[in-house]
Amino acid sequence: MKHQVASTLIPILLLFLSIDLLRGQSPPGKPEITKCRSNEKETFSCWWKPGLDGGLPTNYTLTYHKEGDSVISECPDYKTSGPNSCYFNKKHTSIWTVYVITVNATNQMGSSVSNPHYVDVAYVVEPEPPMNLTLKIKHPEDQKPYLWIKWSSPSLIDISSGWLTLQYEIRLKPEKAAEWETHFAGQQTQFKIFSLYPGEKYLVQVRCKPDHGFWSKWGPENSIQIPNDVTNTDTTVWIFVAVLSVVVCLIMVWAVALKGYSMMTCIFPPVPGPKIKGFDTHLLEKGKSEELLSALGCQDFPSDCEDLLVELLEVVDSENQQLMSANSKEHLDQGVTKSKHLAPHRDSGLGSCDSSSLLSEKYKEPQENPSASHTPEGIKKPESSETNGTHAWGSQNMGLGSQTPYSYASGPPSSTRPSSQLPSLQDATASYHNIADVCKLAMGTPGMLATSLDNTEHRALQPLETAETGGEKKAAEQSEVESFHSETDPDPPLQLVPFISAKPLDYVAIHKISKDGALSLLPKRDNSDQTEKSGALPPSQEYTKVSRVIDDRILVFVQDPGAPNPASSEELVEEPPPSLQENQGEKDVASYTRVPSSFGLQLAGSEYLDPMCLKRSFQ
Amino acid sequence: MDNKALSLKAGSFLLLQLLSNLLLCRSVDSLPICPSGAVNCEVSLRDLFDRAVVLSHYIHNLSSEMFREFEQQYAQGKGFITRAINSCHTSSIPTPANKEQAQSIHHEALLSLVLGVLRSWNVPLYHLVTEVRGMQGSQGDILSKAVEIEERNKQLLEGMEKIVGEVFPGVKENEILSVWPGFPSPQAADEDSRLSAFYNLLHCLRRDSHKVDSYLKLLKCRIIYDNNC
Repeated sequence: MKHQVASTLIPILLLFLSIDLLRGQSPPGKPEITKCRSNEKETFSCWWKPGLDGGLPTNYTLTYHKEGDSVISECPDYKTSGPNSCYFNKKHTSIWTVYVITVNATNQMGSSVSNPHYVDVAYVVEPEPPMNLTLKIKHPEDQKPYLWIKWSSPSLIDISSGWLTLQYEIRLKPEKAAEWETHFAGQQTQFKIFSLYPGEKYLVQVRCKPDHGFWSKWGPENSIQIPNDVTNTDTTVWIFVAVLSVVVCLIMVWAVALKGYSMMTCIFPPVPGPKIKGFDTHLLEKGKSEELLSALGCQDFPSDCEDLLVELLEVVDSENQQLMSANSKEHLDQGVTKSKHLAPHRDSGLGSCDSSSLLSEKYKEPQENPSASHTPEGIKKPESSETNGTHAWGSQNMGLGSQTPYSYASGPPSSTRPSSQLPSLQDATASYHNIADVCKLAMGTPGMLATSLDNTEHRALQPLETAETGGEKKAAEQSEVESFHSETDPDPPLQLVPFISAKPLDYVAIHKISKDGALSLLPKRDNSDQTEKSGALPPSQEYTKVSRVIDDRILVFVQDPGAPNPASSEELVEEPPPSLQENQGEKDVASYTRVPSSFGLQLAGSEYLDPMCLKRSFQ
Repeated sequence: MDNKALSLKAGSFLLLQLLSNLLLCRSVDSLPICPSGAVNCEVSLRDLFDRAVVLSHYIHNLSSEMFREFEQQYAQGKGFITRAINSCHTSSIPTPANKEQAQSIHHEALLSLVLGVLRSWNVPLYHLVTEVRGMQGSQGDILSKAVEIEERNKQLLEGMEKIVGEVFPGVKENEILSVWPGFPSPQAADEDSRLSAFYNLLHCLRRDSHKVDSYLKLLKCRIIYDNNC
């Protein structure tokens, strides 16, 4: 009988159970405590997230116990902080004490307990946002108007006793803008904004942070309309000033770019040097088409004319004059220079950059002499080292009738420059410059000058210094002649001292360099009266013949009566600075400078040629 | 006693060293008010308190960071917190547990409590530095912070002693000194225990530095600004 009752009851119970299950009821899921926060470090609240409720009404209870306390208590207040929360008031809050909190979810079916949550109130402080945010536009006298932002601390925070220390942050933006502009305000409760766009509506918010805690949420937005008369006059003025200065800078840059060269020549007047004029009409007259063509056609970089540049002043004594005169037929063409070797005498490169204009250029500026010889300026540096070899050719009376131009070297490479210099030479009123220097100056390319002068094979012709003579030119030279090819041979360069150093010197132009390296010189008619020592000389007269050597130092040139008057080209050098006084009747044969990049004839303009061109023409 | 500027007779080098640290500037490492070598230097109580608050704030920031770094590196998912409860050696010092209690304590008592806590940390900090140095795979960050905390704690202690000595001459030295049990020896304990001991120490350091900081800020506003910060 009992069996029968039991056997019927059990299935019924099972039936009910299964019915319950079929309806989806289950014990509640495990709740989870999400966070605990304290507003003012005096009270705190905790919130939990319920698990699945199992389909039945679920009851949640929160229990806790404090560190060092075995008593387990229940949450004193479930309401104040909202649903699923527990609020601990001052009485129940202890700072610097770990709370162990658990939440219990219970329903008809069962219950489940959350994991314990450990919290110390001291580290979970997150205040409310600041209150009473006010915005105001202030217009002080003599000052720009600004936006004045003021707020007060959250209501419950105790700042006056120092229990909490708050720091604030504001942010603002024009209504339509996308990004906020944030400013840190420290512990102050006001802020001034100066950079405002007039006519815009601004939105402002503020938040705060305790000394050791979390930032509060951003407070309620407040907005203000900036009136239109709040102008940024400072900005306008500065914009105007900036635009103006940019324009001025652009103009200056443009002017410098355009006139850079002439400005450079103004500031650093080019050193005169021998010039090789463009077209040598003599060649045309004589029908020497070969030389003419070769002169015109000298285009290559003087890779094969390495021995072109003059390094020595060749002293040709009377024995060799005939030899020289025989070779002096050639005129130095403007374009083509070929290395001329007065081989039988010595090694010599051709200082084939001869230019009457160059010659006179610097010589009118005595003050440049010391600088040229001593100051290692960029342009003058190589020259200074080589100034030992400044050469002075005779005065205008130096005849260039003979076709025996002389080539001379200016000096050894700067590296091997002997320190000895002829003081007398330096004291001369004329300044000596490396012709290459002068060429480069004229070209306004000091860099090239340095390059060329560093090339040991380049011995630029020294500008000639004209000394007043009574009809003869004397050139002082050192007894040693530099070897053109001996790069390390510190032979003192050939130097020419003015014949009469006391007087202002005349200049001669290197008329041309003949094939075998002989220089033909032309007297230069300067504008000053002193230049006419021996009367007006026909411009075409040349002093090419060395009559004698004095003291082993001085070359005396005379006109070569047998030499035809060379009709040198008339082209004037444009580049020499105004200080250069050119005899109008003088013909600039050619001037050259070492132009590594462009090797070619220049028929017009600066008339400076690469010495290689010059050299080649002589071969 | 309150806002009067007190002239301190800096007769000892210790005072000068302290004063060089207790500066008006908010930065911890700024120029000293009293140049070294100055015999008579006047530093107001306000400056002393400002400096002390700056130091205590800085020390708690360092402790907080150090604890967080340690927790991230070594204590993830290990539940060290359960063992950290009731583990602080300074719990024997009866410090106030909320604002009302703290405000009800008189200046001198609160100051002496602060001094007691600071002194109790001298030895543990020293050992903390030693242990962190020897810890396997210890990060340079934690070590440098530990070294810095030890140094600044000493400075703060000196400063507080000066403040107390000059402002409250009658304050007796607090006899309550908590003794730290020390780390478990490397042989006796396994790695977990050692890490747990570290965790406890850092946890307690964070708490006590926060306490000291809060008390000093309370005292500053009370003494210097008359509860009107």
